[in-house]
Amino acid sequence: MTLQRRALLQSLTAAVFGSALGCSRDADRGSAQSVALWFSYGGKNREVLERMVHRYNQSQQGIRVLATFQGDYFEALAKLRTAIVARSAPVMSHVVGEVVPYLHEAGVLEPLDAYPDAQNLGLVPALAQVGTYTPTEPKPLVALPFNRSTPILYWNGAMLERARLSVPESWDELREAAKALTVRSNDRVSTWGLECPISWWFWVALMGQAGGEVMGADGYPLLGEEAGVEALQLWQRMVHEDKTMRPPPGRDYNAWQVTNQDFLAGRAAMIYTSTAFLRYLEEHATFPVRAAPLPGFRRRAVPTGGTFFVMMKSAPDHEKQAAWDFLRWMMQPEQTIEWATSTGYMPVASDAVARLEREGFYQKSPNDRVAMDQLKYAMPWPWAESLFRVQRECVDPRLEEAVLNRQDARSLLNEARKQALEDT
Amino acid sequence: MLRPRHRLHPYLFLAPTLGILGTFFLFPLGLAAYRSLYRWDLLTPPRFVGLAHYERLFSSGEILRTLTITLSYAAVVVSGSMFLGLLLALAVNRKGKFVAFVRSCVFSAYVVSWVSVALLWMWLLDADAGLVGRACKALGIGEAGLLTSPSTAIYALAGVTIWKITGFSMVVFLAGRQDIPEDLYEAASLDGAGPLARFVHITWPCLRPTTAFVGTTSLIVSFQAFDIVRVMTQGGPTHSTTVFVYAIYEHVLLNLRAGRASAMVVVFFGVLLLLTLVQLWAWRMGRRSR
Amino acid sequence: MKQKGLARYLLNAVLLIVAVAWLGPYLWMVLGSFKSLKDIMNAPLAPLPSAFHGEAYAEVFRSIPVGRYLLNTTVMALSIAALQIMLVLPAGYALAKLRFVGRGAAFLTVMACLLIPAQVTFVPVFLMLAQVKLVNTMTALVLPFGASALGTFMVRQALLAIPDELIEAARLDGASELTIVYRILAPMLAPTLASLFLLSFVFHWNDYFWPLVMTTDESVRTMPLAVALLREQGTGVRWHIVMAGNVILSAPALFVFAMTQKHLLRAVAARR
Repeated sequence: MTLQRRALLQSLTAAVFGSALGCSRDADRGSAQSVALWFSYGGKNREVLERMVHRYNQSQQGIRVLATFQGDYFEALAKLRTAIVARSAPVMSHVVGEVVPYLHEAGVLEPLDAYPDAQNLGLVPALAQVGTYTPTEPKPLVALPFNRSTPILYWNGAMLERARLSVPESWDELREAAKALTVRSNDRVSTWGLECPISWWFWVALMGQAGGEVMGADGYPLLGEEAGVEALQLWQRMVHEDKTMRPPPGRDYNAWQVTNQDFLAGRAAMIYTSTAFLRYLEEHATFPVRAAPLPGFRRRAVPTGGTFFVMMKSAPDHEKQAAWDFLRWMMQPEQTIEWATSTGYMPVASDAVARLEREGFYQKSPNDRVAMDQLKYAMPWPWAESLFRVQRECVDPRLEEAVLNRQDARSLLNEARKQALEDT
Repeated sequence: MLRPRHRLHPYLFLAPTLGILGTFFLFPLGLAAYRSLYRWDLLTPPRFVGLAHYERLFSSGEILRTLTITLSYAAVVVSGSMFLGLLLALAVNRKGKFVAFVRSCVFSAYVVSWVSVALLWMWLLDADAGLVGRACKALGIGEAGLLTSPSTAIYALAGVTIWKITGFSMVVFLAGRQDIPEDLYEAASLDGAGPLARFVHITWPCLRPTTAFVGTTSLIVSFQAFDIVRVMTQGGPTHSTTVFVYAIYEHVLLNLRAGRASAMVVVFFGVLLLLTLVQLWAWRMGRRSR
Repeated sequence: MKQKGLARYLLNAVLLIVAVAWLGPYLWMVLGSFKSLKDIMNAPLAPLPSAFHGEAYAEVFRSIPVGRYLLNTTVMALSIAALQIMLVLPAGYALAKLRFVGRGAAFLTVMACLLIPAQVTFVPVFLMLAQVKLVNTMTALVLPFGASALGTFMVRQALLAIPDELIEAARLDGASELTIVYRILAPMLAPTLASLFLLSFVFHWNDYFWPLVMTTDESVRTMPLAVALLREQGTGVRWHIVMAGNVILSAPALFVFAMTQKHLLRAVAARR
């Protein structure tokens, strides 16, 4: 018995040490300059990124990018901030657009203007730093667009056809379509008309469609004023009065994931989610997946989403140079095409868009075109240091309260505004 | 008690321990108290704000809310795991392979990591894809998902915690029960005392110190809950599972507020201190009645 | 007599349910880890996988360096447990057996630390360690837990039961204080020390919080962290993969439990 145990332990130890050595051998191959990249994609998108990083590493000798998964956007951002304090930050990471102004004002981002070719990357304006934020006095280039997206409306082709509905163009039509698509038996809903994560991004879209703005030109947190309230009330109505919309359970990206699952399982006929999941949904659905622009209200409007690559100012120069080489490579049409066509994110290089157009990609997969077309309604984010805090601390939790606990939308947003103005 | 051979010996013996405890537990607490007077996002220079954080925390009702959530979680965890643990301890208090097996099963959950347990139960409790979640739904409990509706989430977490730590209280109660001399029971039986009377007059009073221990230990465990919240609910939905430790974590890492988080730390420590006093008192009472 | 038989029968039935309530979830986890994505998505409640797939395990091994993470976790937990044993002995000895100025205060300090969870101190500690460039090192994971308030308390309590005469006799025999502590008293406290070692090993092996906030680098990432990350929110469910990771994470802990069960149970019971 003891002998057996010992043998077992020995083989276990051997296995553990063996693979540990294996890993380290892989990590410091040759004398290449290693640069760290932290990323926060899971699943499908992670696989694509890892594949691309691998291809980059194979494509040249001098630089080796080590990509580390750090959890979802918010988790990774938390990690990044603590790492900056600890002076153990990677040279590159990618962060949500909302936090770029804050990180810049905190002085941790490396200005990229002076790097070779920085001025002629040929990026799609609405997706690059300049077009993503409201014009302010010129800011240095600190962020390169990578995975950029807009929210779009996905619908279950089979269900919509069966219900003989056309794609909703306005909030009213959306409510009607959701009513028609909801399937109930004995008060229990088996298919929801609409499912949409109760989250900042989608609220901003609705608020913009109702004619609001997140912040005034002076940085005052408007939160859409009346439009913000109307946006919340649309959700409240659809969830509690019409009972045609399911607020997906779970916090942050958990809810997004549930939305995807419900759509794939036929529990939701229409969903609002990011264009990022296009490929994933198409690949796993047993029905035709269709995409459409978000319905409008007073106007059409969508925020842009996703992340930007940033470089840390604190990193040593040689690492920054190497990292720039990788970033520049990633901005090239070939790479942005690979990334966009394998995921559903938008290609960020103008040449890439033109080439895809030329080669008939958008003809073949019209779903991919939706987000691109929607860009003309994109609302720029205010370049405000407090934007991220307003999102995470003031607005996000209150959206949940409004929809799940059915609290008064107006007073919640008033509270949020008050909190946004606090200075401590 | 002995006289040390050298005056410095006791201090030298204690130095590493006190040094580490001081550096990593006491001093940081002091530092937190100091930092709580500043507005600080870790990246830009701190700015002195006096007691503003405390004022905010109390006036916004955040402290009250967090305390209420933590207390209701703790109340369910403590009472549930104690009750179940005691019951199980009495039930498995005999020899035999089968009861030994049951004991191991229940205790094994205590050995497995919180992360494992949290992930496993997250799946089990899923309202659509989970075994338990679907069963509950069929029974009409938690239509919207036990973990995902604000009214039930904290109790779902408490339930999972009970599942995880009941093994501990069972083992402790069992040991306590086995310390009770059997002749007490024999004598009581001869006097004609039934099982209930024996429990009320012998088992329960003799287990009082054990009860105090189990109670205070699980109270502290539930006040320190973090992993399960972090993995299963991230404090949501609508703050309904934002217990103290998670609130601190959220303030400092997610909301960029090291100052306010520090104020929260100080308040939290105050609460814990209060709990220790309760614990000491409970122990003393328990020992005295032995 | 017949009634008693019936009661016994009922009790066993209840105990069987109890066993299922605790064992069932693990079983579900193991079965889940052998399912394919299709099984998970299309028949989430089917107990058995359509076929036993190794797909999920393959994915776990592909996406994380399991071996290195297990090694990190083991090294961390072992170092903490060993360091604690080394330090609690002299500290407990001083508190239990030696008369000196400040003993009460020292004891209170130790007891107070029992009440400060790491979750409360991590921000300042992180910053301190950052300043000396220790973040992302094994030291950051081990050192803060090198001293155990609980262990010191346990050893002190155990030593209180050992008569002073024994130590006096050893002193007369010319044993040095360190010899007394590590050579004479330690063996007498073997059960206490072993339980401390085991409890501390298991606790830190399973710890999620500290590695979460103290590491950003893969080189010192531990297993619980990696398994929690396997969930990879983003596109869709991956419960089979998460469960495969979960099996890998919990198997060693359960293995240690199985090997040391008697001792561990006694250790927990003795903490009263």
